[in-house]
Formats: sequence, structure tokens, C-alpha cells
Amino acid sequence: MARDDRPLSPDLQIYRPQLTSVLSITHRLTGIALSIGSPLLVCWLIAAAAGPATYATLHGFLASWLGLLLLLGWTFSFFFHLCNGIRHLFWDAGYGFDLQTIYASGWAVVAISIGLTLSAWVISVGMKG
Amino acid sequence: MARKQTRSSFDRTQGLGSAREGVGHWWMQRVTALALIPLTLWFAASLIARAKDDYGAFILWLRNPFTSVSMVLLLIALFYHMALGLQVVVEDYVHTDRIKMPTVVVIHLGCFALAAAGIIATLRIAFGR
Amino acid sequence: MIIKSSDQLPGVTLLKRFPVPRNFGVSPSSRIERGKIWPAPAGATRTRKFEIYRYDPESGKNPRIDTYEIDLDTCGPMVLDALIKIKDEIDSTLTFRRSCREGVCGSCSMNIDGTNWLACTRFIADTAEPATIYPLNHLRVVKDLVPDLTHLYAQYALIEPWLKTDQTAPERERLQSPEEAEALNGEDGKGPAACILCFCCTSGCPSHWWNGNRFLGPAVLLQAWRWLADSRDDATGERLDNLEDPFRLYRCHTILNCTRTCPKGLNPGKAIASIKKMIAERRS
Repeated sequence: MARDDRPLSPDLQIYRPQLTSVLSITHRLTGIALSIGSPLLVCWLIAAAAGPATYATLHGFLASWLGLLLLLGWTFSFFFHLCNGIRHLFWDAGYGFDLQTIYASGWAVVAISIGLTLSAWVISVGMKG
Repeated sequence: MARKQTRSSFDRTQGLGSAREGVGHWWMQRVTALALIPLTLWFAASLIARAKDDYGAFILWLRNPFTSVSMVLLLIALFYHMALGLQVVVEDYVHTDRIKMPTVVVIHLGCFALAAAGIIATLRIAFGR
Repeated sequence: MIIKSSDQLPGVTLLKRFPVPRNFGVSPSSRIERGKIWPAPAGATRTRKFEIYRYDPESGKNPRIDTYEIDLDTCGPMVLDALIKIKDEIDSTLTFRRSCREGVCGSCSMNIDGTNWLACTRFIADTAEPATIYPLNHLRVVKDLVPDLTHLYAQYALIEPWLKTDQTAPERERLQSPEEAEALNGEDGKGPAACILCFCCTSGCPSHWWNGNRFLGPAVLLQAWRWLADSRDDATGERLDNLEDPFRLYRCHTILNCTRTCPKGLNPGKAIASIKKMIAERRS
């Protein structure tokens, strides 16, 4: 019987989600979300260069409920990817590989990124126009 | 009909041999990440501080040489980091070469184009109309 | 919440498995079906159900999950004891690898309650009700809980796990200082040389799931580091050349499922980071 006929044992379907794998895939998903948002950053600069009318149209979209929802998503994606990215850089330098530090830093990243997202939005809303 | 496995497991593991490169990509991902920490924090803080700015105030801020330079540096580091990151994501999940190779090329060219567009828009604002 | 060592069980369970359909993305021949239920003997007071992955290559049928209800009062404390009891008293067709029954040979590695561990060092009391037992992940199944490890052994051979030196052999041992020995044995006995090649880490690595044909995986890379860190080995540059490849080494994205699941408490993630550091340092 050829080897490829045998069944493949399950992986994603049965493996337990753990802080390690969940934060890692979230880092990837937030990175992809930010990549999707980056053309918008360029559009925003181009709109600003094009003049007040074009800029106002873009600003109108961003101030709509959909725009605000997207901005909230991108804010969280940004802060999470930033905090977890710093955690990654410590690993690349060789630090923080014992399980206790992996878990403590992981939870810290979750807490800090949620905190920064909320702070950013509260402060933005409170800014004087 | 299963294809006959005439090559040994070891031969298939060897593949085409080691590429003897890969550290360049890994290193530049980390270097751009390090650059992005201060640049994105500056950008996010600026956006939050200027959440209620009108078009005129916003353009005035972009004309500031410190802002223009930082914005250009941000665009370069951001799109370089993004291109490297997305390339890795595609390589992880796409395994058919005739789809993977063109996709990676499009990612790199697309990021370069976006960076160029953003930089030119920034410079157009910086040097006035 | 904070895990201090790999043998610590999770305190909180938000999700037992990712919220995907049971047979998500699975080929027709790998689809798992419902199987038989074997109830506990009459009069048993303390029981535990075990849901076990079964596959019979000679039946031509798909894999299935059989449920066995075990009387814990007549069973040893470890999951391996339960498997042996099932094989001895209930269903002799149940097939699994085992040898030392004390956590040193690496034979009985399998996925228990969603994470990879050795059946002989996992207490039944620490399993869920029902306990779910699957073979190591994303490997071709030979029969029941026995996965085909041929490819993993081929990847191990690829890193040439033997001493490479042109120095003439001394009369007795090749000497090492205590610090040099510690690089291999670890200050707590959990260095790279202590690996028992159970492959719990490699089969728990999502990157190895998606790119296992080319990515070497944590077990093999831990052993690659074992030879890179060995002061008696002279082929460091050659070994690094062999490893420096976008797929062989750099598919590792520091997911760290490996370090979390190692039943011997070793740290493959840290070793892989050390390899990447060595490669970065040699060109600067």
C-alpha cells in the first residue's frame, strides 16, 4: 500500500489552543490587517496633497461608522503588533525563553495593547477641535 | 492512483540542498522593526494629538521638515517590513510554485509602488504647491 | 495563568480546540468517523472514559474514535496503564508504541487532551473526562496511535548528528570544561543533549504542519544546536551552511508550542534562536 494512501493524523482540528500559538497567530493576523490598512495611509497622504476637497471626502468616510470601526480595528492591530513585536525582538536577542517569562510577557502584551487602544481612543475623542 | 515513491525519505528531505542564505531577510525584518518602533509611536501620537485638526492645520504640520523627514522614513521602513512579512506568510501557506512566485513578486513591487506614492505625496506637500 | 514549567497543566480552559469543524480541511481518506463504545464493567464505581483514535489499515475503512470506559480502581495511575489495560482486557487490537514506561525512551508520545506528551508520565487524574487520545499530529498513521516517523528520522539524519573533527583521537576522552559540558547538558540537566527524540515538539509545531516536508522542526533543530554548541565538534561553519535556508531553519516563527509541550522540560525554541543568532553573528 503506497504511503500517501494512509490517513494524516489531525492537527489544527484537535490541538489545544495555548497562549503560545494564539498570540503567535494573532501577531500574524494583526500584521496582515495592518498591511491591508497601509494603502489607506498612502491614500490619505495623496488626498492631503490633492487638496481640501479630496481630503474632506476621505475624512468623511473615516468619520463614518464603518470608517471608525476600521480605525478601531487598526488601532488594536497596531498596538498588539507593536507590543508583541517588541516581545519578538527580545527573543531574537536571546532573552525571555523560559516558560514563566513567555507566559508573563504574553499576558502583559495582551493587557498593554488593549489598554493602549482604549487610551488612544479616549484621548482622541477628548481632544479639542 | 498514488505515485510510486522511488526516492528515499532522506533524498526527499535533502530536496535541492540548503539555499545557504536566509539571514538577510531575517536581519532586515528585525532592523526595520527596530526603526518602526519610534517612527510608528511618533505617528500614532501625532494622529491622536491632531485628531480634531482641520485641513489647514494638518498641512501645516506636514510641511514641518521634521514631520516630512519622519514620514518618509516611516513609509520606507513600513513598506519594507510589510513586504518581508507578507512574503513569509505567502511562503508558509502557498505551496504551488506557479502561484507562490508571482504572488511574492507582486507583493514586493506593490509595496515599492505604495512607498513611492506615499513619499511623493509627502514631498509634494512639504515643498508646497 | 502563568505556566512555570511544561509539566504544569493549564489552569483555565477557554477553548479545548480551535473552533473549526471536526474534519476541517481533511482529505476524504483522513476523515474521522464515530466508532464503537465499550462500557465499563458492572460494579465499577470510579470510571473514566477514553476517546481514542483508531485506524485499521487492513479494513479499508476511515479512522474512527472508539470510546472505552475504564474502571480506575483496577488500573494504574498513568495514561499508558489505561492503554495497556484496554489492550489486555478489553480490545487487544489497540496498537501503540511503548517501552520503558518511565519517560526516558520517548516511544509512547501522543496527543492527550489536545497537547503532546508521553503517555507513561501523564496521570489519568490530570486528564479530562472524557480523555481524548490521538496520535502525534500531522503524520501519516500506520495503525491506531502509531504514526510514521520515517520523514522525521530522515530530517534528523540530514543534520549529521555525529562528531565531526579532524583532530586525532586522544587516548581517553575528548576533554571538556564544566562550562562546555553545561552547554550540552544544561545547568538543570535539561540541555539539548537530554532530548529523547519523542517528537512531541515537532508534531505540535504549526509551521511543521504546513511546511514539514522542508522545515526541519524543533526536535531536529535542537539536535542541530547540540552539535553546534559542542566544543569538541569542528564543523560549525559547515553545519551552519547546511541549516541557513529559508525553509530548513527560517520557517521557525518563534511560535513556541515546542517549549510549552516538551515532556522533558527542554527548550527547543531557545536553541533555535541561538542558531539564528550564530548565523547572524558570523556575517558581522
